[in-house]
Amino acid sequence: MFKLVRLEWKKNNIGKYVWYAFITSVLLLLMVLMVAGEMESKETIQSYGKSMLIPCVDMFTNLAYILFTSVMIAGFCVSPYQNRTINLIFSYPVSRRKLVLAQIASVWIFNFIALVLSKICFYGTLAAASPYIHIAAENLPLKSGEFYADILAGSAAMVSIGFLALPVGLWMKSSKAAIITGVLIVCFTQGNIGSYTLMYNLPFYCVLICLSAAAIISVICTVESRDVA
Amino acid sequence: MSYILQTNHLTKTINGKDLVKNADIHVEKGTIYGFLGPNGAGKTTIMKMITNLWKPTDGSIEIFGEILTTKSYYLLKRMGNIIEFPVFYEHMSGIENLKLHSEYMGYYHPNNIEQTLELLSLSDAGNKPVKQYSLGMKQRLGIARAVLCKPELLILDEPTNGLDPAGMKQIRDLFRRLCTEYGITIMISSHILSEVESIADTIGIIHHGVMKNEIAMKEITEQNTEYIALSVGDTQKAAYILAEMGLERFKIVDEQNIRIYDTRMNIQELSKTLVLHQVELHSIGQKAESLEDYFLKLTQELGNEK
Repeated sequence: MFKLVRLEWKKNNIGKYVWYAFITSVLLLLMVLMVAGEMESKETIQSYGKSMLIPCVDMFTNLAYILFTSVMIAGFCVSPYQNRTINLIFSYPVSRRKLVLAQIASVWIFNFIALVLSKICFYGTLAAASPYIHIAAENLPLKSGEFYADILAGSAAMVSIGFLALPVGLWMKSSKAAIITGVLIVCFTQGNIGSYTLMYNLPFYCVLICLSAAAIISVICTVESRDVA
Repeated sequence: MSYILQTNHLTKTINGKDLVKNADIHVEKGTIYGFLGPNGAGKTTIMKMITNLWKPTDGSIEIFGEILTTKSYYLLKRMGNIIEFPVFYEHMSGIENLKLHSEYMGYYHPNNIEQTLELLSLSDAGNKPVKQYSLGMKQRLGIARAVLCKPELLILDEPTNGLDPAGMKQIRDLFRRLCTEYGITIMISSHILSEVESIADTIGIIHHGVMKNEIAMKEITEQNTEYIALSVGDTQKAAYILAEMGLERFKIVDEQNIRIYDTRMNIQELSKTLVLHQVELHSIGQKAESLEDYFLKLTQELGNEK
Protein backbone atom coordinates (compact mmCIF):
# COMPACT_ATOMS: atom_id res chain seq x y z
CA MET A 1 0.00 0.00 0.00
CA PHE A 2 2.80 2.41 0.82
CA LYS A 3 4.22 1.85 -2.65
CA LEU A 4 0.87 2.90 -4.15
CA VAL A 5 0.77 5.97 -1.90
CA ARG A 6 4.30 6.86 -2.98
CA LEU A 7 3.30 6.51 -6.64
CA GLU A 8 0.30 8.79 -6.03
CA TRP A 9 2.61 11.43 -4.56
CA LYS A 10 5.05 10.99 -7.41
CA LYS A 11 2.57 11.35 -10.26
CA ASN A 12 0.73 14.24 -8.60
CA ASN A 13 3.97 16.15 -8.06
CA ILE A 14 3.87 16.19 -4.26
CA GLY A 15 6.84 18.57 -4.16
CA LYS A 16 4.51 21.30 -5.42
CA TYR A 17 2.08 20.68 -2.55
CA VAL A 18 4.92 20.61 0.02
CA TRP A 19 6.02 24.02 -1.22
CA TYR A 20 2.46 25.43 -1.15
CA ALA A 21 1.92 24.03 2.35
CA PHE A 22 5.18 25.60 3.51
CA ILE A 23 4.32 29.03 2.08
CA THR A 24 0.79 28.85 3.53
CA SER A 25 2.11 27.88 6.95
CA VAL A 26 4.71 30.66 6.96
CA LEU A 27 2.06 33.24 6.04
CA LEU A 28 -0.31 31.93 8.69
CA LEU A 29 2.47 31.96 11.28
CA LEU A 30 3.15 35.60 10.47
CA MET A 31 -0.53 36.34 10.96
CA VAL A 32 -0.55 34.54 14.30
CA LEU A 33 2.55 36.44 15.38
CA MET A 34 0.87 39.70 14.37
CA VAL A 35 -2.18 38.75 16.43
CA ALA A 36 0.11 37.88 19.34
CA GLY A 37 1.94 41.21 18.92
CA GLU A 38 -1.37 43.01 18.96
CA MET A 39 -2.16 41.45 22.34
CA GLU A 40 0.73 43.24 23.97
CA SER A 41 -0.72 46.67 23.45
CA LYS A 42 -4.34 46.01 24.25
CA GLU A 43 -4.82 43.12 26.62
CA THR A 44 -3.17 41.55 29.59
CA ILE A 45 -1.05 38.98 27.85
CA GLN A 46 -1.68 36.17 30.24
CA SER A 47 -5.44 36.23 30.16
CA TYR A 48 -5.62 37.02 26.48
CA GLY A 49 -3.04 34.37 25.64
CA LYS A 50 -4.82 31.78 27.68
CA SER A 51 -8.21 32.38 26.14
CA MET A 52 -7.24 33.31 22.58
CA LEU A 53 -3.84 32.09 21.51
CA ILE A 54 -4.52 28.38 21.22
CA PRO A 55 -7.90 28.85 19.49
CA CYS A 56 -6.25 31.34 17.17
CA VAL A 57 -3.57 28.83 16.11
CA ASP A 58 -6.17 26.07 15.86
CA MET A 59 -8.49 28.13 13.73
CA PHE A 60 -5.86 29.33 11.26
CA THR A 61 -4.24 25.93 10.82
CA ASN A 62 -7.51 23.96 10.67
CA LEU A 63 -8.98 26.39 8.19
CA ALA A 64 -5.91 26.20 5.98
CA TYR A 65 -5.64 22.43 6.00
CA ILE A 66 -9.33 21.65 5.52
CA LEU A 67 -9.08 23.77 2.39
CA PHE A 68 -5.79 22.13 1.48
CA THR A 69 -7.38 18.70 1.91
CA SER A 70 -10.23 19.59 -0.43
CA VAL A 71 -7.80 21.00 -3.02
CA MET A 72 -5.74 17.80 -2.87
CA ILE A 73 -8.89 15.65 -3.08
CA ALA A 74 -9.75 17.58 -6.24
CA GLY A 75 -6.27 16.95 -7.65
CA PHE A 76 -5.68 13.37 -6.51
CA CYS A 77 -9.14 11.78 -6.47
CA VAL A 78 -11.49 13.81 -8.71
CA SER A 79 -9.36 15.13 -11.57
CA PRO A 80 -8.38 11.58 -12.77
CA TYR A 81 -12.07 11.19 -13.74
CA GLN A 82 -11.97 14.50 -15.59
CA ASN A 83 -8.69 14.02 -17.46
CA ARG A 84 -9.42 10.31 -17.94
CA THR A 85 -6.21 9.07 -16.32
CA ILE A 86 -8.58 6.91 -14.25
CA ASN A 87 -8.86 4.66 -17.35
CA LEU A 88 -5.14 4.15 -17.15
CA ILE A 89 -5.05 3.64 -13.38
CA PHE A 90 -7.84 1.06 -13.45
CA SER A 91 -6.15 -0.91 -16.23
CA TYR A 92 -3.28 -1.78 -13.88
CA PRO A 93 -3.15 -5.21 -12.24
CA VAL A 94 -4.07 -3.81 -8.84
CA SER A 95 -7.40 -3.94 -7.02
CA ARG A 96 -9.45 -0.81 -7.64
CA ARG A 97 -10.17 -0.62 -3.93
CA LYS A 98 -6.47 -0.49 -3.17
CA LEU A 99 -5.92 2.15 -5.83
CA VAL A 100 -8.69 4.38 -4.48
CA LEU A 101 -7.58 3.75 -0.92
CA ALA A 102 -4.07 4.81 -1.93
CA GLN A 103 -5.45 8.04 -3.40
CA ILE A 104 -7.33 8.77 -0.19
CA ALA A 105 -4.42 7.76 2.04
CA SER A 106 -1.95 9.88 0.10
CA VAL A 107 -4.09 12.99 0.71
CA TRP A 108 -4.90 12.11 4.32
CA ILE A 109 -1.32 11.31 5.37
CA PHE A 110 0.10 14.42 3.74
CA ASN A 111 -2.41 16.77 5.31
CA PHE A 112 -2.30 15.10 8.71
CA ILE A 113 1.50 15.36 8.88
CA ALA A 114 1.46 18.92 7.52
CA LEU A 115 -1.21 20.01 10.01
CA VAL A 116 0.52 18.42 13.00
CA LEU A 117 3.88 19.88 12.00
CA SER A 118 2.34 23.30 11.38
CA LYS A 119 0.67 23.37 14.79
CA ILE A 120 3.83 22.23 16.57
CA CYS A 121 5.90 24.79 14.63
CA PHE A 122 3.40 27.54 15.43
CA TYR A 123 3.39 26.78 19.13
CA GLY A 124 7.17 26.28 19.15
CA THR A 125 7.73 29.60 17.40
CA LEU A 126 5.33 31.38 19.77
CA ALA A 127 7.11 29.85 22.78
CA ALA A 128 10.50 30.84 21.36
CA ALA A 129 9.25 34.35 20.60
CA SER A 130 7.48 34.77 23.95
CA PRO A 131 10.22 36.90 25.57
CA TYR A 132 9.97 39.38 22.71
CA ILE A 133 6.23 39.56 22.27
CA HIS A 134 5.41 39.12 25.93
CA ILE A 135 3.42 35.92 25.69
CA ALA A 136 3.39 33.96 28.89
CA ALA A 137 5.10 30.74 27.83
CA GLU A 138 3.24 28.81 30.53
CA ASN A 139 0.08 29.30 28.47
CA LEU A 140 1.63 27.03 25.87
CA PRO A 141 1.81 23.59 27.51
CA LEU A 142 4.59 22.33 25.27
CA LYS A 143 5.79 19.84 27.83
CA SER A 144 2.41 18.21 28.31
CA GLY A 145 1.73 14.89 26.59
CA GLU A 146 -1.97 15.67 26.57
CA PHE A 147 -1.28 18.79 24.55
CA TYR A 148 0.38 16.70 21.80
CA ALA A 149 -2.34 14.06 21.97
CA ASP A 150 -4.87 16.87 21.44
CA ILE A 151 -2.92 18.09 18.44
CA LEU A 152 -2.80 14.59 16.93
CA ALA A 153 -6.48 13.82 17.54
CA GLY A 154 -7.63 17.28 16.45
CA SER A 155 -5.56 17.14 13.27
CA ALA A 156 -6.82 13.64 12.39
CA ALA A 157 -10.40 14.81 12.93
CA MET A 158 -10.02 17.98 10.86
CA VAL A 159 -8.36 16.24 7.90
CA SER A 160 -11.01 13.48 8.04
CA ILE A 161 -13.80 16.06 8.00
CA GLY A 162 -12.19 17.60 4.92
CA PHE A 163 -12.93 14.31 3.14
CA LEU A 164 -16.61 15.23 2.96
CA ALA A 165 -15.50 16.98 -0.23
CA LEU A 166 -14.69 13.59 -1.79
CA PRO A 167 -18.19 12.21 -2.50
CA VAL A 168 -19.39 15.62 -3.69
CA GLY A 169 -16.47 15.97 -6.11
CA LEU A 170 -16.87 12.40 -7.39
CA TRP A 171 -20.64 12.65 -7.67
CA MET A 172 -20.47 15.89 -9.64
CA LYS A 173 -17.23 14.82 -11.36
CA SER A 174 -15.96 18.30 -10.62
CA SER A 175 -12.78 19.48 -8.91
CA LYS A 176 -14.41 22.86 -8.34
CA ALA A 177 -17.30 21.22 -6.48
CA ALA A 178 -14.82 19.46 -4.18
CA ILE A 179 -13.03 22.72 -3.39
CA ILE A 180 -16.28 24.64 -2.83
CA THR A 181 -17.38 21.88 -0.45
CA GLY A 182 -14.10 22.41 1.41
CA VAL A 183 -14.89 26.12 1.75
CA LEU A 184 -18.35 25.31 3.10
CA ILE A 185 -16.89 22.86 5.62
CA VAL A 186 -14.52 25.59 6.79
CA CYS A 187 -17.43 28.02 7.19
CA PHE A 188 -19.42 25.52 9.24
CA THR A 189 -16.61 24.27 11.42
CA GLN A 190 -14.48 27.37 11.94
CA GLY A 191 -16.90 30.23 11.42
CA ASN A 192 -19.11 32.05 13.88
CA ILE A 193 -22.30 34.09 13.86
CA GLY A 194 -21.89 36.65 16.59
CA SER A 195 -20.77 34.64 19.59
CA TYR A 196 -22.25 31.38 18.26
CA THR A 197 -19.79 28.90 16.78
CA LEU A 198 -19.67 25.16 16.19
CA MET A 199 -15.89 25.20 16.57
CA TYR A 200 -15.95 23.41 19.93
CA ASN A 201 -19.16 21.44 19.46
CA LEU A 202 -18.01 17.86 19.93
CA PRO A 203 -21.24 16.11 18.80
CA PHE A 204 -21.20 18.18 15.61
CA TYR A 205 -17.66 17.05 14.86
CA CYS A 206 -18.57 13.44 15.64
CA VAL A 207 -21.44 13.59 13.14
CA LEU A 208 -19.16 15.09 10.48
CA ILE A 209 -16.49 12.46 11.07
CA CYS A 210 -19.09 9.67 10.83
CA LEU A 211 -20.45 11.15 7.59
CA SER A 212 -16.95 11.45 6.21
CA ALA A 213 -16.12 7.83 7.14
CA ALA A 214 -19.38 6.63 5.57
CA ALA A 215 -18.59 8.57 2.39
CA ILE A 216 -15.10 7.07 2.13
CA ILE A 217 -16.38 3.54 2.77
CA SER A 218 -19.12 3.99 0.18
CA VAL A 219 -16.64 5.26 -2.44
CA ILE A 220 -14.30 2.32 -1.81
CA CYS A 221 -17.05 -0.31 -1.72
CA THR A 222 -18.72 0.73 -4.97
CA VAL A 223 -15.60 1.29 -7.03
CA GLU A 224 -15.19 -2.36 -8.09
CA SER A 225 -18.50 -2.66 -9.87
CA ARG A 226 -18.62 0.82 -11.34
CA ASP A 227 -18.02 1.45 -15.04
CA VAL A 228 -15.30 3.96 -15.74
CA ALA A 229 -16.80 6.73 -17.86
CA MET B 1 -8.26 -24.15 -31.69
CA SER B 2 -6.41 -22.16 -29.03
CA TYR B 3 -8.09 -18.84 -28.29
CA ILE B 4 -6.28 -16.36 -26.11
CA LEU B 5 -9.44 -14.26 -25.94
CA GLN B 6 -13.04 -15.17 -26.50
CA THR B 7 -16.36 -13.70 -25.50
CA ASN B 8 -19.61 -15.55 -25.06
CA HIS B 9 -22.88 -13.69 -25.62
CA LEU B 10 -21.25 -10.53 -24.36
CA THR B 11 -23.87 -7.86 -23.73
CA LYS B 12 -23.67 -4.32 -22.44
CA THR B 13 -26.85 -2.39 -21.79
CA ILE B 14 -26.92 1.19 -20.57
CA ASN B 15 -30.20 2.96 -19.78
CA GLY B 16 -32.13 0.23 -21.57
CA LYS B 17 -30.09 0.58 -24.75
CA ASP B 18 -28.03 -2.38 -25.96
CA LEU B 19 -24.61 -1.04 -26.87
CA VAL B 20 -23.41 -4.58 -27.48
CA LYS B 21 -25.65 -7.60 -27.80
CA ASN B 22 -24.64 -11.26 -27.62
CA ALA B 23 -21.22 -10.65 -29.12
CA ASP B 24 -19.08 -13.73 -29.67
CA ILE B 25 -15.46 -12.96 -30.46
CA HIS B 26 -12.66 -15.46 -30.96
CA VAL B 27 -9.05 -14.30 -31.05
CA GLU B 28 -6.44 -16.90 -31.80
CA LYS B 29 -3.13 -16.85 -29.99
CA GLY B 30 -0.26 -15.27 -31.90
CA THR B 31 -2.43 -13.56 -34.51
CA ILE B 32 -3.59 -10.05 -35.31
CA TYR B 33 -7.34 -9.60 -35.05
CA GLY B 34 -8.76 -6.63 -36.93
CA PHE B 35 -11.91 -5.31 -35.29
CA LEU B 36 -14.06 -3.36 -37.72
CA GLY B 37 -17.31 -1.53 -37.53
CA PRO B 38 -18.82 1.85 -38.28
CA ASN B 39 -18.66 4.59 -35.66
CA GLY B 40 -20.83 3.74 -32.67
CA ALA B 41 -20.96 0.05 -33.59
CA GLY B 42 -19.69 -1.04 -30.18
CA LYS B 43 -15.97 -1.64 -30.76
CA THR B 44 -14.75 0.58 -27.92
CA THR B 45 -17.44 -0.75 -25.59
CA ILE B 46 -16.20 -4.30 -26.16
CA MET B 47 -12.58 -3.26 -25.73
CA LYS B 48 -13.46 -1.48 -22.47
CA MET B 49 -15.11 -4.66 -21.19
CA ILE B 50 -12.10 -6.76 -22.21
CA THR B 51 -9.78 -4.44 -20.28
CA ASN B 52 -12.13 -4.60 -17.27
CA LEU B 53 -12.96 -0.87 -17.38
CA TRP B 54 -16.62 -1.62 -18.03
CA LYS B 55 -18.49 -4.57 -16.62
CA PRO B 56 -20.65 -6.71 -18.92
CA THR B 57 -24.39 -6.67 -18.32
CA ASP B 58 -24.52 -10.26 -19.50
CA GLY B 59 -22.27 -12.90 -21.04
CA SER B 60 -18.65 -13.57 -20.29
CA ILE B 61 -15.12 -12.82 -21.39
CA GLU B 62 -12.46 -15.48 -21.32
CA ILE B 63 -8.84 -14.35 -21.42
CA PHE B 64 -5.84 -16.67 -21.17
CA GLY B 65 -8.29 -19.47 -20.46
CA GLU B 66 -9.87 -17.75 -17.46
CA ILE B 67 -13.19 -16.01 -17.10
CA LEU B 68 -12.69 -12.30 -16.48
CA THR B 69 -14.33 -11.16 -13.24
CA THR B 70 -14.21 -7.90 -11.28
CA LYS B 71 -11.32 -9.39 -9.33
CA SER B 72 -9.20 -10.64 -12.25
CA TYR B 73 -6.55 -7.94 -11.82
CA TYR B 74 -3.67 -10.34 -12.31
CA LEU B 75 -4.84 -10.96 -15.88
CA LEU B 76 -4.35 -7.28 -16.66
CA LYS B 77 -0.65 -7.75 -16.00
CA ARG B 78 -0.42 -9.83 -19.17
CA MET B 79 -2.19 -7.22 -21.28
CA GLY B 80 -1.30 -3.87 -22.83
CA ASN B 81 -3.89 -1.47 -24.14
CA ILE B 82 -4.82 1.82 -25.69
CA ILE B 83 -8.50 2.65 -25.29
CA GLU B 84 -9.89 5.66 -27.18
CA PHE B 85 -6.79 7.86 -26.84
CA PRO B 86 -3.71 7.54 -24.65
CA VAL B 87 -3.66 9.71 -21.52
CA PHE B 88 -0.55 10.71 -19.60
CA TYR B 89 0.64 12.72 -16.66
CA GLU B 90 1.39 15.72 -18.80
CA HIS B 91 3.83 17.42 -16.42
CA MET B 92 6.03 14.32 -16.40
CA SER B 93 8.45 13.39 -19.16
CA GLY B 94 7.90 10.45 -21.50
CA ILE B 95 10.51 8.43 -19.61
CA GLU B 96 8.94 9.25 -16.24
CA ASN B 97 5.51 8.19 -17.53
CA LEU B 98 6.93 4.88 -18.71
CA LYS B 99 8.79 4.35 -15.42
CA LEU B 100 5.56 4.97 -13.52
CA HIS B 101 3.76 2.48 -15.75
CA SER B 102 6.46 -0.14 -15.12
CA GLU B 103 6.13 0.38 -11.37
CA TYR B 104 2.36 -0.10 -11.44
CA MET B 105 2.73 -3.15 -13.67
CA GLY B 106 5.47 -4.57 -11.46
CA TYR B 107 7.72 -5.02 -14.48
CA TYR B 108 11.40 -4.28 -14.13
CA HIS B 109 13.85 -4.79 -16.94
CA PRO B 110 17.05 -2.80 -17.38
CA ASN B 111 17.20 -0.61 -20.52
CA ASN B 112 13.67 -1.62 -21.42
CA ILE B 113 12.38 1.96 -21.49
CA GLU B 114 15.23 3.21 -23.68
CA GLN B 115 14.79 0.29 -26.08
CA THR B 116 11.05 0.82 -26.33
CA LEU B 117 11.44 4.55 -26.94
CA GLU B 118 13.97 3.78 -29.65
CA LEU B 119 11.56 1.30 -31.21
CA LEU B 120 8.96 4.08 -31.46
CA SER B 121 11.48 6.75 -32.59
CA LEU B 122 11.01 8.73 -29.40
CA SER B 123 14.52 8.55 -27.96
CA ASP B 124 15.16 12.27 -28.47
CA ALA B 125 11.87 13.29 -26.86
CA GLY B 126 12.11 10.95 -23.87
CA ASN B 127 13.10 13.65 -21.40
CA LYS B 128 10.60 16.27 -22.59
CA PRO B 129 7.41 16.83 -20.59
CA VAL B 130 4.51 15.10 -22.34
CA LYS B 131 2.61 18.40 -22.54
CA GLN B 132 5.14 19.45 -25.20
CA TYR B 133 4.46 16.37 -27.34
CA SER B 134 2.51 16.56 -30.60
CA LEU B 135 -0.59 14.38 -31.07
CA GLY B 136 1.41 11.86 -33.11
CA MET B 137 4.16 11.70 -30.47
CA LYS B 138 1.58 11.07 -27.76
CA GLN B 139 0.12 8.28 -29.85
CA ARG B 140 3.58 6.74 -30.22
CA LEU B 141 4.21 7.08 -26.50
CA GLY B 142 0.87 5.38 -25.87
CA ILE B 143 1.94 2.48 -28.07
CA ALA B 144 5.33 2.43 -26.30
CA ARG B 145 3.53 2.17 -22.97
CA ALA B 146 1.24 -0.57 -24.25
CA VAL B 147 4.14 -2.75 -25.44
CA LEU B 148 6.60 -1.77 -22.67
CA CYS B 149 5.94 -4.69 -20.35
CA LYS B 150 5.98 -7.29 -23.15
CA PRO B 151 2.30 -8.22 -22.87
CA GLU B 152 0.88 -11.41 -24.30
CA LEU B 153 -2.22 -9.61 -25.52
CA LEU B 154 -2.47 -6.09 -26.90
CA ILE B 155 -5.83 -4.34 -27.10
CA LEU B 156 -5.51 -1.32 -29.35
CA ASP B 157 -8.40 0.99 -30.09
CA GLU B 158 -7.61 3.10 -33.16
CA PRO B 159 -3.87 3.16 -32.33
CA THR B 160 -2.74 5.00 -35.45
CA ASN B 161 -4.94 8.07 -34.91
CA GLY B 162 -2.91 11.22 -35.38
CA LEU B 163 0.00 9.53 -37.13
CA ASP B 164 1.26 10.59 -40.54
CA PRO B 165 1.38 7.97 -43.36
CA ALA B 166 5.05 7.18 -42.71
CA GLY B 167 4.32 6.82 -39.00
CA MET B 168 1.37 4.53 -39.75
CA LYS B 169 3.57 2.31 -41.88
CA GLN B 170 6.19 2.17 -39.15
CA ILE B 171 3.62 1.24 -36.51
CA ARG B 172 2.04 -1.33 -38.81
CA ASP B 173 5.44 -2.95 -39.33
CA LEU B 174 6.03 -2.84 -35.58
CA PHE B 175 2.75 -4.66 -34.87
CA ARG B 176 3.56 -7.32 -37.43
CA ARG B 177 7.02 -7.71 -35.86
CA LEU B 178 5.63 -7.93 -32.33
CA CYS B 179 3.28 -10.63 -33.52
CA THR B 180 5.76 -12.73 -35.47
CA GLU B 181 8.92 -12.25 -33.40
CA TYR B 182 7.48 -12.04 -29.89
CA GLY B 183 4.28 -14.01 -30.38
CA ILE B 184 2.15 -11.14 -29.04
CA THR B 185 -1.54 -11.43 -29.92
CA ILE B 186 -2.99 -8.13 -31.08
CA MET B 187 -6.60 -7.02 -31.25
CA ILE B 188 -6.78 -3.79 -33.19
CA SER B 189 -9.67 -1.61 -34.17
CA SER B 190 -9.35 1.02 -36.82
CA HIS B 191 -11.55 3.12 -39.03
CA ILE B 192 -8.90 2.95 -41.74
CA LEU B 193 -9.75 -0.41 -43.28
CA SER B 194 -6.64 -0.56 -45.46
CA GLU B 195 -4.59 -0.32 -42.26
CA VAL B 196 -6.19 -3.43 -40.82
CA GLU B 197 -6.26 -5.20 -44.17
CA SER B 198 -2.50 -5.10 -44.49
CA ILE B 199 -1.73 -6.60 -41.09
CA ALA B 200 -4.70 -8.58 -39.77
CA ASP B 201 -4.94 -12.34 -39.90
CA THR B 202 -8.59 -12.38 -38.91
CA ILE B 203 -11.33 -9.79 -39.22
CA GLY B 204 -14.29 -9.32 -36.91
CA ILE B 205 -17.12 -7.10 -38.07
CA ILE B 206 -19.55 -5.51 -35.66
CA HIS B 207 -22.61 -3.49 -36.62
CA HIS B 208 -25.15 -1.87 -34.31
CA GLY B 209 -23.63 -3.74 -31.36
CA VAL B 210 -24.00 -7.17 -32.98
CA MET B 211 -21.06 -9.25 -34.18
CA LYS B 212 -21.85 -10.05 -37.79
CA ASN B 213 -18.91 -11.99 -39.02
CA GLU B 214 -15.50 -13.29 -38.15
CA ILE B 215 -13.43 -14.30 -41.10
CA ALA B 216 -9.79 -14.99 -41.89
CA MET B 217 -8.23 -12.46 -44.26
CA LYS B 218 -7.08 -15.41 -46.34
CA GLU B 219 -10.70 -16.39 -46.86
CA ILE B 220 -11.68 -12.90 -47.96
CA THR B 221 -8.99 -12.89 -50.62
CA GLU B 222 -9.94 -16.40 -51.71
CA GLN B 223 -13.70 -15.75 -51.78
CA ASN B 224 -14.02 -14.92 -55.49
CA THR B 225 -13.02 -11.42 -54.75
CA GLU B 226 -10.91 -11.04 -57.89
CA TYR B 227 -12.87 -9.69 -60.81
CA ILE B 228 -12.63 -8.07 -64.20
CA ALA B 229 -13.88 -4.49 -64.08
CA LEU B 230 -15.59 -3.30 -67.25
CA SER B 231 -16.60 0.26 -67.97
CA VAL B 232 -18.91 0.46 -70.96
CA GLY B 233 -21.32 2.87 -72.67
CA ASP B 234 -24.30 0.50 -72.56
CA THR B 235 -24.35 -2.00 -69.72
CA GLN B 236 -27.56 -3.73 -70.91
CA LYS B 237 -26.08 -4.51 -74.29
CA ALA B 238 -22.76 -5.58 -72.75
CA ALA B 239 -24.57 -7.85 -70.30
CA TYR B 240 -26.48 -9.48 -73.16
CA ILE B 241 -23.23 -10.19 -74.99
CA LEU B 242 -21.57 -11.56 -71.82
CA ALA B 243 -24.52 -13.92 -71.38
CA GLU B 244 -24.19 -14.93 -75.01
CA MET B 245 -20.54 -15.76 -74.31
CA GLY B 246 -21.69 -18.19 -71.62
CA LEU B 247 -20.65 -16.04 -68.66
CA GLU B 248 -22.95 -16.28 -65.66
CA ARG B 249 -21.02 -14.75 -62.78
CA PHE B 250 -21.11 -11.06 -63.48
CA LYS B 251 -22.84 -8.10 -61.89
CA ILE B 252 -23.99 -4.73 -63.21
CA VAL B 253 -22.68 -2.31 -60.60
CA ASP B 254 -24.14 0.91 -62.05
CA GLU B 255 -24.98 2.54 -65.38
CA GLN B 256 -21.42 2.17 -66.67
CA ASN B 257 -19.70 -0.56 -64.68
CA ILE B 258 -19.88 -4.32 -64.74
CA ARG B 259 -17.88 -6.79 -62.67
CA ILE B 260 -17.10 -10.24 -64.06
CA TYR B 261 -16.17 -12.68 -61.33
CA ASP B 262 -14.96 -15.43 -63.66
CA THR B 263 -11.37 -14.29 -63.86
CA ARG B 264 -10.32 -17.16 -66.14
CA MET B 265 -11.88 -15.15 -68.94
CA ASN B 266 -9.25 -13.78 -71.32
CA ILE B 267 -9.38 -9.96 -71.18
CA GLN B 268 -8.16 -9.47 -74.76
CA GLU B 269 -10.74 -11.87 -76.12
CA LEU B 270 -13.44 -10.20 -74.06
CA SER B 271 -12.58 -6.69 -75.22
CA LYS B 272 -12.38 -7.88 -78.84
CA THR B 273 -15.85 -9.47 -78.63
CA LEU B 274 -17.40 -6.35 -77.08
CA VAL B 275 -15.86 -4.06 -79.67
CA LEU B 276 -17.00 -6.39 -82.50
CA HIS B 277 -20.55 -6.10 -81.14
CA GLN B 278 -20.18 -2.32 -81.15
CA VAL B 279 -20.21 -1.89 -77.39
CA GLU B 280 -18.49 1.36 -76.42
CA LEU B 281 -15.65 0.17 -74.17
CA HIS B 282 -14.20 2.82 -71.83
CA SER B 283 -11.88 0.63 -69.80
CA ILE B 284 -11.21 -2.96 -68.85
CA GLY B 285 -8.91 -4.46 -66.24
CA GLN B 286 -8.46 -7.09 -63.58
CA LYS B 287 -9.03 -5.99 -59.97
CA ALA B 288 -9.25 -7.50 -56.51
CA GLU B 289 -12.00 -6.75 -54.06
CA SER B 290 -10.52 -5.04 -51.02
CA LEU B 291 -11.49 -5.47 -47.41
CA GLU B 292 -13.26 -2.16 -47.78
CA ASP B 293 -15.50 -3.63 -50.50
CA TYR B 294 -16.18 -6.64 -48.31
CA PHE B 295 -16.89 -4.49 -45.28
CA LEU B 296 -19.17 -2.10 -47.14
CA LYS B 297 -20.99 -4.97 -48.80
CA LEU B 298 -21.62 -6.63 -45.45
CA THR B 299 -22.64 -3.50 -43.56
CA GLN B 300 -24.88 -2.37 -46.44
CA GLU B 301 -26.55 -5.77 -46.49
CA LEU B 302 -27.07 -5.48 -42.75
CA GLY B 303 -28.40 -1.97 -43.16
CA ASN B 304 -30.90 -3.23 -45.71
CA GLU B 305 -31.91 -6.11 -43.42
CA LYS B 306 -32.61 -3.58 -40.65
